[in-house]
Amino acid sequence: MAVENLPQRARRDEEVDVAIVGAGPSGSVAALHLARAGFSVVVLEQGQWPDYADYTGARPEHELVSTKVWHPNPNVRDNPRDYPIDTSTSDINPLMFAGVGGSATLYGAQWMHFLPSDFRVRSLDGVAEDWPFTYEDLLPFQLEIEREVGVSGLSGDPAFPPRGPYPFPALPMGSVGRRGALGMERMGWHWWPGSNAIPSEKFGELNPCVRRGTCLTGCPEGAKSTTDRSHWPLAQKAGARLVTEARVKEIQTDAAGLATGLVYVTANGRERRQRAKVIILCANGVGTPRLLLMSGGSRHPDGLANSSGLVGKRLMMHPFASILASYEDLLDSWRGPFGQQVYSLEFYETDERRGFVRGSKWNCMPSGGPVGVSGAMGSKVYVAEEGRFQDFWGENLHRNVAKRFGHSLVWGIVGEDLPEESNQVVLSKTLVDSDGLPAPQIIYKVNDNSQRLLKFNIDRCLESVRAAGAIEMLVSVPVRESGWHLIGTTLMGTDPKTSVVNQWGATHDVPNLYIMDASTFPTSGATNPTATIMAVALRNTRRLIAERRSQKVA
Amino acid sequence: MTNSETFLALADFLIPSYQTKPGFRLVSTYEDGLHALGFRSDLREAFERALTVDMSVGAEAALEKLNAQDDAAFSALTTIVITTYYMNPKVRESIGYPGQENVAYDSKATQSYLVDGSLARVIARGRKYRPTPGL
Repeated sequence: MAVENLPQRARRDEEVDVAIVGAGPSGSVAALHLARAGFSVVVLEQGQWPDYADYTGARPEHELVSTKVWHPNPNVRDNPRDYPIDTSTSDINPLMFAGVGGSATLYGAQWMHFLPSDFRVRSLDGVAEDWPFTYEDLLPFQLEIEREVGVSGLSGDPAFPPRGPYPFPALPMGSVGRRGALGMERMGWHWWPGSNAIPSEKFGELNPCVRRGTCLTGCPEGAKSTTDRSHWPLAQKAGARLVTEARVKEIQTDAAGLATGLVYVTANGRERRQRAKVIILCANGVGTPRLLLMSGGSRHPDGLANSSGLVGKRLMMHPFASILASYEDLLDSWRGPFGQQVYSLEFYETDERRGFVRGSKWNCMPSGGPVGVSGAMGSKVYVAEEGRFQDFWGENLHRNVAKRFGHSLVWGIVGEDLPEESNQVVLSKTLVDSDGLPAPQIIYKVNDNSQRLLKFNIDRCLESVRAAGAIEMLVSVPVRESGWHLIGTTLMGTDPKTSVVNQWGATHDVPNLYIMDASTFPTSGATNPTATIMAVALRNTRRLIAERRSQKVA
Repeated sequence: MTNSETFLALADFLIPSYQTKPGFRLVSTYEDGLHALGFRSDLREAFERALTVDMSVGAEAALEKLNAQDDAAFSALTTIVITTYYMNPKVRESIGYPGQENVAYDSKATQSYLVDGSLARVIARGRKYRPTPGL
């Protein structure tokens, strides 16, 4: 592939050097760095640019509106730019958002690297697969991405190898964080001030955090780092072209098996084609396998890049538990940052005496407004199925709100999810999206290892919150609405017979088709994956740039 | 009963006066409920269906019936009732809720955990990660 070393702005009908599917965290990283390196780049995004005036966090109706319009489950949100998902065969609902910035639009911005052992689970624990590269290989890219994203945090955590300082100081730890830390301290367990993709000072297009506490439903301040603010202004300046409301329905290939372009549907239903020398999929662990499975055609009836039979398989979603703990003291628990004020990696590494392998990450968060903590509406995560409605209404409503509102915190427990081929994404035979394309169906069971892991961690967490004086503890496990992390459905590996992509994200079957989202991760770790997703995307992009002369194209 | 009377009767059962907390009707009106409903047009049909419930059996029995037979209507009604109530400025004042507020802070201020010894104790407990080079 010959690429001029000057930025090129692509026209609609021309063949571009690279076409990317998805303008979320990984697609944005690839677009920025490829455009800066002189590649002509087009990104097709099925959603729209965010309008920050639509985020309701600062308005009285926030708890009413956000439980629909900004719900992370596309089936609840029911926005025509999303695709529906058949979750009837899944224990957990996958969560995502279509738009510039991707699903991070609704993330908590908890910023965590994977740990060294996450890349070596086969060698250390005898399960799943090692990654083709190591923590040390990825660290330089992690640190570079942190500077692009504007992460705040405190270095020196003994749960990680030594590293340099974060770009910005850690956000202030509120009463919630201090109370969470107190429990850990009394147990003699690990805790550390939260690292978040939320700069504590003005950074580029990002404003400093004002602790609004509505990170999960879109940040009205423009303070939470999402790539519509951190990457896209720079990518467009470098010449990358972004096409919104463009839903890709097929990857086209030629007789030689090389990718030639993408077919997409515009908002008004017109079909268009984008020709490209290289295609990169960044559509998340559900959207990417869905597109590959839709793209096989007669030459590949089981889906494109699927000679291994693994496209869509090994879906990992991080089974999640949460504990809402209430205290006598006022903790101002509606205040942010919502992401994580404190985290703990006390139980991250394997200890076989616990009866399971791998481990967990805990994050301490505020509990939000009165409606959410009442248990009477919204996610209902703390409401027992068999409960009577009177338990949550009448005088009980007032008692529950008085006990919890302003006085509570939430520990979230993320458990490592081990890959199993039976947990998978397939195409629905009956459900379609607003363009008539088959919706994905999720087949997913929380496995025995995860069940034991969550039980152990819940028991320990209850010990911790009791040690800090909790007067009420409500447990939810596994939380059905918790599939934020969509991982593993196009496995990375060295053998084309047992993996879908190589260590640089290139599919074994189609050398000019890449995948750069968390689909490729061999294992899931137990930390929030966005940091690692963006770092791996940067590593892959740099390789693609360096090898541009030898890249095979149609 | 009119829709307004049905709504307020059900809302008052769901949120009665309790200690210093006002009941629904003391601070909010049917029109307030309709204003809230304006933010959630997806609930309108189920909400209107909820107000057709037979009230001759009393508010509690009517709600029992809705909860058992029409979950969507029960959910729409209770969603509007609770959010209308907690959007009310008087109610917010009574529970000490300023809303999701903007809180100024000094990003360079020294955090207490750096000087009170608590984080030093975490560090003193030693390395937690398993090193991997050389595997």
